[in-house]
This record gives sequence, C-alpha cells and structure tokens, in this order.
Amino acid sequence: MNWAADSCAFFAAVQPLGQLALSHYLITSAALFAIGLIGFLSRRNMIIMFLCTELMFQAAAIAMIAFSRFHLDVSGQVFVIFILTVAAAEAALALGLVVLLYRRRETLNADVWSELRETPTP
Amino acid sequence: MLAVDLNAYIPVGILVLMAIIFVIVNLAATHVLGPKRHGAEKDIAYESGMNPIGTARKRFNVRFYILAMTFLVFDVEIIFLYPWAVTFTKLAPQSDEATLFLGRIMFFIATSILAYIYAWRKGVFRWD
Amino acid sequence: MADRLPMVDKLWFILPEVALFLGVVVIFIMGLSHSKRVRDMLPMITCLSLAVAFGLTWWVYEGSRGQTLLSVNPNLMLMPMVGKYVKMSACAIGIILAMVSVGSVDRRLEAAVAAGHLPFDPIRANRGEFYAFFLLSLMGVMLTCNANDLIWLFLALELTSLPTYIMVAISRPPRVAQEAAVKYFFLGAMATAIFLYGFALLYGSTGTMILTEMQRAFAAQAKADVVNSFGIIGMILAMLGICFKIAAAPMHFYAADVYEGAAAPVTAFLAFVPKTAGMVAIILLLTTLGWSGHPSTGLPEPIMTTLWMIAVLTMTLGNLGALLQRSVKRILAYSSIAHSGYMLIGVIAGPANNGINAVLFYLLVYGIMNTAAFAVLAALERRGQEIETMEDLAGLRIKHPGMAVVMAIASGSLLGVPPLLGFFAKLYLFIAGIQAGQIVLVVIAGLNTAISAWYYLGLVTLPIMAKPSAQSETIVRSPFPWPRIAGIVTAVAVVVLPLFLGPLIRASQAATTPASLTTGVTISK
Repeated sequence: MNWAADSCAFFAAVQPLGQLALSHYLITSAALFAIGLIGFLSRRNMIIMFLCTELMFQAAAIAMIAFSRFHLDVSGQVFVIFILTVAAAEAALALGLVVLLYRRRETLNADVWSELRETPTP
Repeated sequence: MLAVDLNAYIPVGILVLMAIIFVIVNLAATHVLGPKRHGAEKDIAYESGMNPIGTARKRFNVRFYILAMTFLVFDVEIIFLYPWAVTFTKLAPQSDEATLFLGRIMFFIATSILAYIYAWRKGVFRWD
Repeated sequence: MADRLPMVDKLWFILPEVALFLGVVVIFIMGLSHSKRVRDMLPMITCLSLAVAFGLTWWVYEGSRGQTLLSVNPNLMLMPMVGKYVKMSACAIGIILAMVSVGSVDRRLEAAVAAGHLPFDPIRANRGEFYAFFLLSLMGVMLTCNANDLIWLFLALELTSLPTYIMVAISRPPRVAQEAAVKYFFLGAMATAIFLYGFALLYGSTGTMILTEMQRAFAAQAKADVVNSFGIIGMILAMLGICFKIAAAPMHFYAADVYEGAAAPVTAFLAFVPKTAGMVAIILLLTTLGWSGHPSTGLPEPIMTTLWMIAVLTMTLGNLGALLQRSVKRILAYSSIAHSGYMLIGVIAGPANNGINAVLFYLLVYGIMNTAAFAVLAALERRGQEIETMEDLAGLRIKHPGMAVVMAIASGSLLGVPPLLGFFAKLYLFIAGIQAGQIVLVVIAGLNTAISAWYYLGLVTLPIMAKPSAQSETIVRSPFPWPRIAGIVTAVAVVVLPLFLGPLIRASQAATTPASLTTGVTISK
C-alpha cells in the first residue's frame, strides 16, 4: 500500500506506545463500547439509541488509533477517517428515519412502533 | 540568549492580519452598501430564519434538515482533503505522480459536485 | 512508485463496479425526469447496467490482462477468483430481482400523476433513488469479493447495508415499511459497531490492515504457539457483527419483522444480497486465520466452537420459528435464517473439504429459489395490497396456475426435494460437512430439514391441492407482467439447472482453487 512509505516518514520521530499506555487506551475504548452497548439495549429513546451506536463507533476508533501508534502503522488512522465518514452517513440516515417517525407518531419512544411482531398462532 | 527566528512567524502574522481585515471590510461594506430598513420584524435578533419569540421547543421546518444533510456531504469531504494535502506537498512538483494525485482528488471532488447537482435538481434548495 | 502498483492493479478488477456506478449516476438523474416514459425506463437501465457488469466481470477475470496481473502478484487479493463467481451470480440474480421490483415503488404516486391529480414533483418521487440504491447495494457485494484490506471490507459491507435501509423505507407506502426500516437500521448500526470493534482488535493483534499480510501474521503466531487473544476475540466479534448481515443466530431477531414490513421485491433482495456479502466477508476473515492450527478443519478451537454454536442455533431457531407463522413472508424470513445456518456448515468444513465451494454454490442456488418464491408474492395482489397469509395462497391453481406451480417448485427446492436444484446444493454442503468429520452437525441439519418439511410442504400443497378459500378468491394478478416472468424464469432455472450441475460446481470450485487458502494449511504442517 502507498501509505506504508508515508507511515515510516510520519513516525520517524515518534516513539511507539508502550504496553501500559496501550492498555489504558484499550480500557477506555472497551468502557466506551460497553456503555454504548448497554445504553443501546436499555434506552428506548431513538435519538439516545442512535447516540449509543455512535459511542460504539468511536470506541472502535479509539482502539484503532491506539493500535496504530502501538504498531507505528498509519493505516489505523486512515481507517478512522473512513469510520467518521460512515458514521456521518449513518447519522444522516438516522435523522431522516427519526423525522419520518416523529411525523407519524409524535414520539421518539421505540416501543410505540410495534405493529410488526410475532402473532400468537391460531 | 534565546534566538527566535521571527521570519518563521510571518505567515502566521499574515493570516491573522487577513482575518482581521476580512472582518473589518465585511462589517464596513454591509454598513456602507446595505439598505437599512427598520421595523418591528426587522429589528428583532436574527435566528437563522426561525422566529425568535415564543417557545423554543417547537418544530423546525424540515427543509432545515434537508439542507443540513447537503452540508454534511461537504463537511465529510473536507476530512479526506486533509490527508491528501499533507501527502501532496511531499511529491515532486509537476511529476507524473503529482498529476495522478491531483487527478484523483479532482475526481473525488467531482463526485461531490455530482451529489450537489442531484440535490439541486431534486429541489432541496427550493424554499416554498 | 513500486509500492503503489497493487492498488492500481486492483482497480482493474473493479471495472464492473465502475460500470455499475455510471449506471447509478444515470439512474439518479433519470429518476428526476418529468417525463413518465423516461421514469418507466429505470428498471430497464438497471438490468442493462447489470448485464454490462456481468460481461465485464467475465472479461476482466478471463482476459489476458487479468490473468497476468493475478499470476504476477499472488498477494493482490486473498481469494482472487471468488470475485468472478460471486460477481457474476450477483449480477445475474440482480437482473431477476430488478424484474421482480418493476412497478412496486411509487405506485400510488405514479398513478396519481398519470391521472392528473398531482403535478410531478421530483422531491416526492422515489423510484430513481430506489433503483440507484439497488445497484449501489449490489456494488457493495461485488466490492466485498475484492477486499484485501479491512478498510475496504468495512466500506464494502457498509455500501451493501446502508442502501438497503433506505430501500426498505421507500419500498411501499404503509407505515409498516417505515417501522421495518427503523428496526433494521438501528440493529444494523449496532451490528456494524460490533464488527468494527472486532476489526480494531484484529488490527491490534496483527499490526496490519492488509488481509494477505494478516494471514502471514496469524500463521506466524500459530507456528510459534502464541496466538494473540486479541485476534481470537476480534474474530469472534467480527463474526457476530457480520451475523447480522447473514441473519444468523444471535443477530437474527430482526429478520422476521423487517422481511414482513418491506415490500416483497425488497424482501427478496434482503434475503440474497446482504447474505452474500456477509458470507464472503466471513470466508475472507476466516481465511486470514488460514484454517491452520486445528487438525480436522483448521480453525482455532474457540472460533470453531463459536461457529458451531452459531450454525446449530441459527438453523434450529429458524426452523422452529417458521413453524409458528401464518404469514408467508415471515415463514420465508425464518427459512432465510435457517438457510444461513446450513451454509455455516460449509464454512465450518473449510476449503480442504470443498466446504467453501459448497457455500458459494448454495448462495447462488438460494438466490434463485428464494427469488422465485418472492416473485410469486410480488406478482399477486388484492386491491393493490400484497398478499400475506397462507390462506391467500390456498387453491391458487384455479385462477393463477402458473404462479401456483412456481410457488410449489420454489418451496420444494427450498426444502430440498431430490430432482430440484436445492437438493443438490444441500447435498453438496452435507457431504462437505461429513468429510470434515462434523457428523453431529450434519445430523442436526438433517433433523432441521425434516422439521422444515412441515412448513415447506404446506407451501407446496396449499396452492396446488387445497380448495380455494373465500380469501384467495379475491386475489388478482398485479398489472405488471415482469414479476410473473421473473418467477417463471427462476422456477424453470430451478428445474433445468440440475442438468448443468457439473459446470456449475466446477465454477464454484474454480472460485476457490488458486487459493491462498491452502497456504495456511501448509504452514501448520
């Protein structure tokens, strides 16, 4: 890949991240991911659920950057740029759906939307 | 004695100066050129098209949202221009590689312009 | 300069996608046209660009330039020839799916415009967007095959999924479509975050994003007996996230609701396209582990156990869930879940036992027979509404004999009745499983097939043998002939293709042969 050469130049003056420092970043990112997951599963407000998925995305991004510094390899940081892009695309989509939903039901509670569900068998 | 090369700060100084001049010129130009009409509606604080009086918890026109999505396209595009710009300065001027790099980013920007044309034809910018 | 070449070389292999992209641009703009004639041409343009992409794929891979590029640089892609097979089948089934979807989007709006009740307003029209997103999603599947990079893989998977959320929302006017879209989107975003975190850990474990290098790193770790736990956990998280795309066990619960809410053509699309992308992604990711380190199948023990549990849970929950349904779409949704479970047998069996070819073959077959079943649902209607329950299908033979036969053939094939295509695909998978020594797994799959006979036979016998009910009397053909034609074409394919079984299976074997797959196995020795 092209960025391999750039990566060397970029990190020429940079120390790799130590094991201990790496673990701090990873703990932060794992905590962020867990908060996002628990929030997603327990909250019922659509906006907050969406924010929780964003939290999980950013947790992955933090882990990527920490590993990027640990391995002195720039591709992790490139990935983060793409994560931000996809997160933005999902945000546009989520807000579109939320607007649609609010116009129909005047609420953001996910539980109100339950027309599709398992029907008891005859 | 700490030797500071003040020449290194000249670009920063120019930037600051340009920012100040830009603000002054704009304020002065609107003051001189802009028509001045007063009225009960005109004199209230500007809230980007919303009515500033009354509850803030009312619904926005959905067109704000559609416009914001169009903004998002260009907002995200900027993220990709930054690493490109950092790499581009390292290439030899007028080499084949530099031309290729320029062509790539031009293609990338062209796709965003395509998105813009689509939004325009779709009627995103009509406000009625 | 030299290190940039692989990227430029890879661009050669995405020429079909470039052709599709041009089709997308044309469709986006044509959808905004004020002329009804131009708007009605959209499905045709979609099929045309897919046909062009189909031809280009063959030319790109078989032409001298493609062959040279592959032989010069074996590290270009992890499994280079998978692209040819999957892209060509995606294009072929894409054409059928586009035929099924004719007339479903914007039907009310177009009728109102045609009757002169409403002036045409581009901001209210969705048909152009629908077909453009249709092609973009197929493009995502095709790009997944070429992924040699976690970034590329992530973007291709997202390109497959993001358009489908919108397609569900705009597929038909009722509220349920929007509810389905909201559910699908939120769960999809969560799944994406999970496999993204898995990717981060995989990157951390190996220090590279490039799949071929990752394969080498994992092989070195396995050889030195210090397999990084980050790698294992990352792989499991990535698989769990991708399970959403293939509707497999821990992530399957959305499927029934979403499939029921979306219009029938979109449901057919959802059952094939994200599933193919997810399967290819799982195969690519597991190939980085090299199927090395485990005596019979090669995968590390924790991964094997996870896959095994996912496979068993998926097929059992899918088939048991289908037993309880009255809605045809929900039955087919649960059957889609169950079929993912069957396919995972092939993944567990691994390339050494022809497992991967079996999965690829099964994907194609599943795409054909599932589209046939949904084409029937798209071709029939009652007062402009889709038909839903099993009672609607009863005695279909009286008024719509063609569709009754198509439904019977499709369900028979989904069950795996011997002379039909589905039987051979399933047999091929089970043989791979037995060769890999997974007798218990294959027995469970066989029991599941027996369970599934209950509801599939219902779908076979109701249209052909039952008496018409009061409900099924009111069903009429939809005014568009294309879904019917698509149904008949796919049903004929299900009956006729077993005659060409040899070439088809050879094609699926060719997809995995010059595989760097085998390198992992040699390293472990």
